[in-house]
Amino acid sequence: MRIPRPGYLARKLLGVAATLFAVLTFNFLLFRILPGDPVRLLARAGNLSPEAIERLRQTFGLDQPLPVQYVIYLRNLATGELGTSLTYRRPVAAILAERMENTLILLAAATVIVVLLGVLFGVYAAARRGTRVDSGTVVSSLIFWSLPTFWVGLIFVFILGVYLPWFPISGMSTPGAHFRTPIDAFVDIGRHLVLPTLTLALVDIGQFILITRSSLIDVLTEDFILTAKAKGLSRRRVIWRHGVPNAMLPIVTATALYVSLIVGGTIQVETVFSYPGMGRLMYDAVLRRDYPVLEASFLLFAITVIFANLASDLLYRYLDPRVRDA
Amino acid sequence: MRRTIGWRAGIVAAAAALVVAGCGSSATPAPATQAAGSPATTAAPAESTGASPSESAGAGTATAAPAASPSDATLRVGWSSEPDTMNPLTTYSTEATEVLQLIYDKLIGYGTDLKPKPELAATWETAADGLSTTYHLQPDATWSDGQPVTSEDVAYTFTTIKDDSLGSYAQWLADFAGAETPDPRTVVLTYSKPQAFDPALAIPILPKHIWSTMDAKAIQTFPNDTPVGSGPFRLVEWKKGETVTLDRNDAFWGAPPIPKEIIYILYGSEDVEAQALKNGDVDVLTEVPPTVWDGLAGASNVKAVELPSFSFHHIGFNVSDAAGSKGNPLLKDQVVRQALSAAVDRNQLVQIALAGKGKPGSTLIPAGLADWHLEIPADAQLNGDPEKAKSMLEAAGYIDRNGDGIRESKDGKPLEFRLIAIESTGVDVRAAQLFRDAAQAVGIKLDLTTMDENTLGSTVYNTESPEWDIFVWGWDSGVPDPDYMLGVPLCSQIGGNNDVFYCDKKYDALYAQQATTLDPVARKAIVDQMQQMFYDAAPYIVMWYQDKLQAYRTDTWTGWQEVPGGIVFNFTRDNYLDVTPAK
Repeated sequence: MRIPRPGYLARKLLGVAATLFAVLTFNFLLFRILPGDPVRLLARAGNLSPEAIERLRQTFGLDQPLPVQYVIYLRNLATGELGTSLTYRRPVAAILAERMENTLILLAAATVIVVLLGVLFGVYAAARRGTRVDSGTVVSSLIFWSLPTFWVGLIFVFILGVYLPWFPISGMSTPGAHFRTPIDAFVDIGRHLVLPTLTLALVDIGQFILITRSSLIDVLTEDFILTAKAKGLSRRRVIWRHGVPNAMLPIVTATALYVSLIVGGTIQVETVFSYPGMGRLMYDAVLRRDYPVLEASFLLFAITVIFANLASDLLYRYLDPRVRDA
Repeated sequence: MRRTIGWRAGIVAAAAALVVAGCGSSATPAPATQAAGSPATTAAPAESTGASPSESAGAGTATAAPAASPSDATLRVGWSSEPDTMNPLTTYSTEATEVLQLIYDKLIGYGTDLKPKPELAATWETAADGLSTTYHLQPDATWSDGQPVTSEDVAYTFTTIKDDSLGSYAQWLADFAGAETPDPRTVVLTYSKPQAFDPALAIPILPKHIWSTMDAKAIQTFPNDTPVGSGPFRLVEWKKGETVTLDRNDAFWGAPPIPKEIIYILYGSEDVEAQALKNGDVDVLTEVPPTVWDGLAGASNVKAVELPSFSFHHIGFNVSDAAGSKGNPLLKDQVVRQALSAAVDRNQLVQIALAGKGKPGSTLIPAGLADWHLEIPADAQLNGDPEKAKSMLEAAGYIDRNGDGIRESKDGKPLEFRLIAIESTGVDVRAAQLFRDAAQAVGIKLDLTTMDENTLGSTVYNTESPEWDIFVWGWDSGVPDPDYMLGVPLCSQIGGNNDVFYCDKKYDALYAQQATTLDPVARKAIVDQMQQMFYDAAPYIVMWYQDKLQAYRTDTWTGWQEVPGGIVFNFTRDNYLDVTPAK
């Protein structure tokens, strides 16, 4: 891989910084113009004295004018201070760290399966364009892609969790279990991951199959493929050596977007399988108007999207000389 | 306290609200609060209990005695929302309250008959003037870190909550005048007025040696991750988003609880939760929606229970006298409200909107509070009688003058009102539709709009300039006592809990009187009078008293007492202590 010229990288990073700043500001404003006063929500038990309410405001810095809150917000971010959750009364950073870890475990497994198998099936279908295998793959991809995640999850629960009680249906590990060895604990988590991962894979794999297939079909009509065939290369070599690398660009983009989900979590799967990830944290935080948690989650989400895009831009330059020279 | 509104409409969280002592409407994002004036003092039949020292003395041990010895088994509880914090002074969730009542003791608790019984106080007696009560602490009580529990801890807890106005407990201490500690095992609490509801029934006792190191502000952000309590269980671990694990506190002063461990397991979906119960992954569910309940009712080794609750859902009318009120003034005419009350059929509401899981509503006190609820004779109720509604309206001069099907007042104003309900609370939306149809049938037009809970809360609780006519919502009593519910529509609660801005000085006077009347019979008479008065004025149409729906496995633990209000998530913690493993 050729190392990008410093000028290019600097320009990209500057763009990233500007985007980040805009996101930060928007993020700050967004949660303060929403209807609903968080202190009123906190105080909903009724009968809190005005002093107690005032103290809540002070504790969470809500008594300051907006511009002052903004400066404090930026200063805290610069020092890595994400604030204290209004609901849990704990540091937001610690809460996010726990949830991110869980979400990463789930999505790492799902992403690998979805991308690898998706590309494989896509290549397989494209190479047999127009056959029954191809149209069968396309139709089933479309069907899986359009299935509601929630519903697929419940079906798996009923079939593989209840009717055939093979896998646990909720949580990340068996509640209250004491494991003799770390390996047992690891296996237990693995068993809990099976159904959520299967659900995600089934629903998300369709898009990778379709993108890979259509991109590869395009590439296969190019002149250089004809040349490769004319040179007498095997079909397999034509596709994998000359076709697939040139069809990778859209797949890289799709993967970058998919990885961005890691932070957003996958709320439906998390809900069905009672999985403690980012999605449910954010959902609860919206309902409870827990500003600090929301701000930090959205920020994390934005940063992931920005950097996933940056990574895919840089990868483009590696994969496609035309982008590099532009 | 507890979340009421229905079967989790949507999400729990919103509702996570109510708190224990607090109460609140369930649904409410309510108002913050009322300040001092309203002593929510509540009254309970406390006196009678407290009184007989001889009997109560032994009770700590006697109660749990009949049963089996402590086991090594784990009780697994499934719920669909988790605690917000383990800090009893900042929590607003029912879930945290449920867990904390096993970790901390109150001076007085509730038995499975929902009558007061000794907890940290082995005996107590109230002075003749009703202004002070002397509590004698359990001689063996120690904190889970080994320090003895002393009267200083009690004095600290009450004084700090009062002085710093902490948490939802401060509302019970409006009349609190001070604590004395004649000796380490005796504490005397004094009030400026007699307390028909003893606040000792509501307030958890905290260890002074831990909490006194913090000021009021530090307490606000104290997570209390390793609570030190004197109760029957200790917190082992809280895996956020997954489980809360408790284990038996071997230093507990009373009979040791039978379960060795309690694990609360969080479920994201009620369907999956029900499957988990059928699978045997959990032993008991804290809350089950009606459709799922029906599915569980026939399952093997599962018992689905339907118990009265301490909650209601209601239709509220804006009767504000505020100069800025933008409500339709026609609703200030009692006849219009009574006609609407007569027009709607509460049995139909229960059968259709609530799938039959509840009782038709009438007065402010839910039928679940059987000792206090006033049963108005059926023929004296305004309920499901459209003909009566029509004749009432006609007699008052509301006639359809222009033939559009809607009645107009004498000066030509149509009986047309805005009706709002919470979108995610399905039972309320359905009820609102039925109510709209019933009103239409007697010539009153209602325009229904649904909105999210926070928006409805801030719309309704706009004290200076309420811009709404009619809403649908609910309340949950924070204590098994009439005080909380009766205290909602007080003049002094305008700006607080009062969601319809009803104000009648006579009602307020009766409220103050019942709160300081220690004799249960005399108090009941006043409480009845208040219920009748509020029913007749009709600022609320209490639609129903919904049932609490729960379920448990019969092959893992036995001995569940089916207490009104629920086998768990109730004011008594005894089921957690006394259930025994099935053989």
